[in-house]
Amino acid sequence: MTAQRRVRVTSPQTRIALARGHRSLRGLREPQDRPGPGQEAEELAATEAARALFVRQRRLAARTLALLGLLLTGLSGLLGALPALGRLTLGGVPASWLLLMAASYPLLLLIALLHVRRAEELERDAGS
Amino acid sequence: MAGLLAIGLLLAASMVIGVRGVRATRSTTPDFLVASRRIAPGLNAMAIAGEYVSAASVLGLAGLMLKYGIGSLWYAVGFTAGYVAVAALVAGPMRRSGAYTVPDFADYRLGSALIRRLCAVIVLVIMWLYLVPQFKGAGVVLHLVSGAPYWVGVVLAGLVVSVSIAAGGMRSATYVQGFHYLVKLLFIAVPAVFLVVHAGADARASALRMDLTDWGRPLLDVEDSGQPLLATWSLLLATTLGAVGLPHVIMRFHTSATARTARRVAVGVIVLLGLFYLFPAVYGLLGRVFTPWLVEGGDTDTVTVALPGAIVSGTWGSVLTAIVAAGAFAAFLSTSSGLLMALAGGLSHDLFRAGVPRLRMAVAGGALVAVLLSLPAQQVDINVAVGWAFAVAASTFCPLLVLGIWWRGLTAAGAAAGLVVGVCAATGAALASVLTEPEAGWLVVLLAQPAAWTVPLAFLVMICVSLPGRPPQWAESAVLRLHVPG
Repeated sequence: MTAQRRVRVTSPQTRIALARGHRSLRGLREPQDRPGPGQEAEELAATEAARALFVRQRRLAARTLALLGLLLTGLSGLLGALPALGRLTLGGVPASWLLLMAASYPLLLLIALLHVRRAEELERDAGS
Repeated sequence: MAGLLAIGLLLAASMVIGVRGVRATRSTTPDFLVASRRIAPGLNAMAIAGEYVSAASVLGLAGLMLKYGIGSLWYAVGFTAGYVAVAALVAGPMRRSGAYTVPDFADYRLGSALIRRLCAVIVLVIMWLYLVPQFKGAGVVLHLVSGAPYWVGVVLAGLVVSVSIAAGGMRSATYVQGFHYLVKLLFIAVPAVFLVVHAGADARASALRMDLTDWGRPLLDVEDSGQPLLATWSLLLATTLGAVGLPHVIMRFHTSATARTARRVAVGVIVLLGLFYLFPAVYGLLGRVFTPWLVEGGDTDTVTVALPGAIVSGTWGSVLTAIVAAGAFAAFLSTSSGLLMALAGGLSHDLFRAGVPRLRMAVAGGALVAVLLSLPAQQVDINVAVGWAFAVAASTFCPLLVLGIWWRGLTAAGAAAGLVVGVCAATGAALASVLTEPEAGWLVVLLAQPAAWTVPLAFLVMICVSLPGRPPQWAESAVLRLHVPG
């Protein structure tokens, strides 16, 4: 490595952010120096663990998105398919309006809560 | 006069909180942009909600409801559902990436200066599309409470927002926006309850009357296309995925201490939004009974502010109007500060490299352009313009962030192609819907609310162009890093 080596120029924000996280930019961008014989196995194991966690998190994210899509298309489809819901009233309010105005928010919250709980579990399992 | 006084008090309170924030700011660029990450999670969620609940929610939602019917509430559902997607897809990983802005993330993940520039340009497009309706809201509200011409409110809003941002940056914005969430919730919710009680049983019954017209149909049609289900789905796609790609929303998660809190903050935002969105519907429903003339001769976006005076006469009427007007002002002040911050970040950091002084200039420049664009925009429905901003974000940054975070195979070429196709398709369709008059049918929907085809198209282009290419060696570690706890 010589003093005139070309370095990557990044935005000051990115550099500061990466420095704050105690991560070096070089390690991210370029293949690292060959590790010693003992470290090699350790690094491989860490990478494997990270890959496994990534796959599990991705599966969870896909499931959450599918649930979200199901809720939104399902609710709108239901309201579109059953105009009779407008004739049904609950406490003076048409049922279809009530479903649209208030029913979706608790369900959205539930989906998000389940996701966050599971994502944190996955991270805990991976950390231990 | 009471309205002006209330708005004046709100501005004064915002300034005081902003100045206190300035004192806490060390004037370095990251502090200016993301408030040093020392913001408590609860306050952070409130600030995010405060920034997110814009004129579109406070004024536009009730206005659109009055004009097109109960189905307009799908906007609110979509705005909230967006945070489920944010919590699931981007909040944690974006925080771990350490990048402050979307262009920063693109640089981190793809290592291409070209993509950074491209992203910065798209940030400008989205932010201006979003700022114009906010300033329009300021103009119509000020006109309504004081009789001042429309342009006075627009210019005033531009001035106030750029001065407070240029002085304090993001840290002061966090406190101010948290405060504004409370102002919006209280100043919209309390008058809503009061109006419902005061309107009387007859009016309540007729507000809830379900008739067989299109108004009561719980789906949102655009421009009488005759395809309400398609229109609703397209809108939901735009708002849900648009929230994932909105630059000022993304920027906010960096004020969380860790990725874990960033995700939890997103869930907190869902609670705060769900709570808020119970109330704009009240104004839309009562507006149909008390201010139906707005649909014919007036601006439906003003219904929230016009309604209290129509229901309650005398002093109490003007007091309520003043309260609601102050709430509406809080809405576009806090949203525009966040938007302007992201816009200035894009201008000064990603297009031109510069420090805090230049950033301040960028704030002023960005606000000036937005004000000039807003002056001829008085006739545009607030929510329609905001819907376009969401559609552009959903067709550009959403695929970039989602694929960048969850797929190691994304290449710079694929991302660039997808971004260009997405931004051209979404803005092109919106322009075409303004300039042309297609016959009723699905084409109307696909132009006026283009997310239904532009989002899948952008994803497809990014994936198809990336597949033959080879991502660089460090791509996998860049992706895995986003998901490693700690």
